[in-house]
Amino acid sequence: MTDDVFFASISELNARLRKREFSVVELTKAFAERLERLGPRYNALANPLTEIAIRRAKDVDDELKQQRFHGPLQGVPFAVKDLLAFAGAPTTWGAKPFAGQVFEENATVLSKLDKLGSVLIGKLAMVELAGGPGYRLASASMFGAGLNPWDRTRWSGGSSSGSGSAVAAGLVPFALGSETSGSILTPSAFCGVTGLRPTYGLVSRHGAMPLSWTLDKIGPMCRSAEDCGLVLQAISGGDSKDPGSAGKSFYYTPQYARKLTDLRVGFAPDDLEWAEPGARPAFEAAMQVVKSLGVKLVEVKLPAFPYGPVISTIVSAEGSSVFEQLITSGKVNELADPKQIEGLKAGLEIPAKDYLKAMRIRTLVKEKFAELFQQVDVLVSPSRYGIAPKITEPLDVGGAPGGHPATSAMAALIPACNLAGLPALSFPCGFVNQMPVALQVAGPAFSENALLALGREFQARTDWHKRHPDVG
Amino acid sequence: MITRRELAAVAAGSGLAASVEAQTAPLPADLATAVRDQNKLMGDALAKFEIPLATEPAFQFKA
Repeated sequence: MTDDVFFASISELNARLRKREFSVVELTKAFAERLERLGPRYNALANPLTEIAIRRAKDVDDELKQQRFHGPLQGVPFAVKDLLAFAGAPTTWGAKPFAGQVFEENATVLSKLDKLGSVLIGKLAMVELAGGPGYRLASASMFGAGLNPWDRTRWSGGSSSGSGSAVAAGLVPFALGSETSGSILTPSAFCGVTGLRPTYGLVSRHGAMPLSWTLDKIGPMCRSAEDCGLVLQAISGGDSKDPGSAGKSFYYTPQYARKLTDLRVGFAPDDLEWAEPGARPAFEAAMQVVKSLGVKLVEVKLPAFPYGPVISTIVSAEGSSVFEQLITSGKVNELADPKQIEGLKAGLEIPAKDYLKAMRIRTLVKEKFAELFQQVDVLVSPSRYGIAPKITEPLDVGGAPGGHPATSAMAALIPACNLAGLPALSFPCGFVNQMPVALQVAGPAFSENALLALGREFQARTDWHKRHPDVG
Repeated sequence: MITRRELAAVAAGSGLAASVEAQTAPLPADLATAVRDQNKLMGDALAKFEIPLATEPAFQFKA
């Protein structure tokens, strides 16, 4: 087996397994060894599951020998953010107070992937409690700061830090992350991988750590839009064990995707002004590629709402309720990040009037986005306006929350679409000082196929997603 | 002086996936007070935002 497997796509790995170029056990051992060896270099590994994985891989080899095929994920190793329960193994939620936590039942998404023959090789590091109501430093994790494989002095992003690093460094073909507000898109952008935040309710969260019942989503982080489509198809679907489940499935059907020449793509010209100066040429060039796809570009403005106060109030109130026992017992003080500790405590005191006002404004956000998506089919914007920050830089800005976001740019697109429950795809679109930058496309609820089609065509014309750091 | 990008991040972000390269802000001596003050300011921002009386919260009770 040659090292090219470590950066191969899901479809390619599955095809080579079927051709018996190598066995599932050989592939699993190769990735598991690499994850154990290199994962700690990026503080990306929470817990290896090598022995269990090899046993499972033997079963999948038997299935392949008997020509019992279960689709493109069969035999392909993967790892998940350590907020998903895997029966019998520690599930830490990235937080010291939960270091010894073990569940008896698998998260629904893990059961689904297991059924299709994908092989779980480990749990990946994350920001403690998925960031809770906010954190100040990249070191807000019992595993230490997530280090970026492109430059280990820079952050991998959060809160799905290990998922971003592990996919970027070729330690796994794909990973699962979660997003409450930005936790899939940010590490995907900073690490140069392709990440999909699904529509709220499309993927079951049963067995996942709750942070905000009305905002949490589980999604794939992969090498390409194509791979995200394959993984999303596998993990989506209704689940009576998740009260937020939409009861819908997703079928990745690129062959039936709408013609890009029919697609109206909303953009904000001011995005370029908001981008870091060094990143502007990359974003300008990326927008030219989008234009070259034949789409119709339409200038738009985001609806004006106080997105920051709305989402912060909701996450703080719901998160502090989830972790009430942790807070009142005093164990909250064992967390790594002082701001998160104080934020959780203060969240218990958020008045009902503020939470309800935020949830009422959210109703209007949803309505206004529905109107916006009458004018355009998708929105495109930089995923983040610059490259990953240094791990020593504070991640908060310390100021008072403003009222209305500047809607001339799409600075608020991540919290806005999370509030409205809408999907988005982040994909690499260039490099600045050897660090990746990315575009995001967001769309109406359940428009994942349109987002993936655009991402897939972008990636057919560029090779940013195929580049990978030199990890040795 | 706060930059436009920093201002946008404050207005837009919850800090969950904070990534803006801020000018180094010293950790407040009384972080607990600072966080509570920030929550109060968020509440004030929400209070100022006028919405129709009939707007219901974005969750549903199902019997």
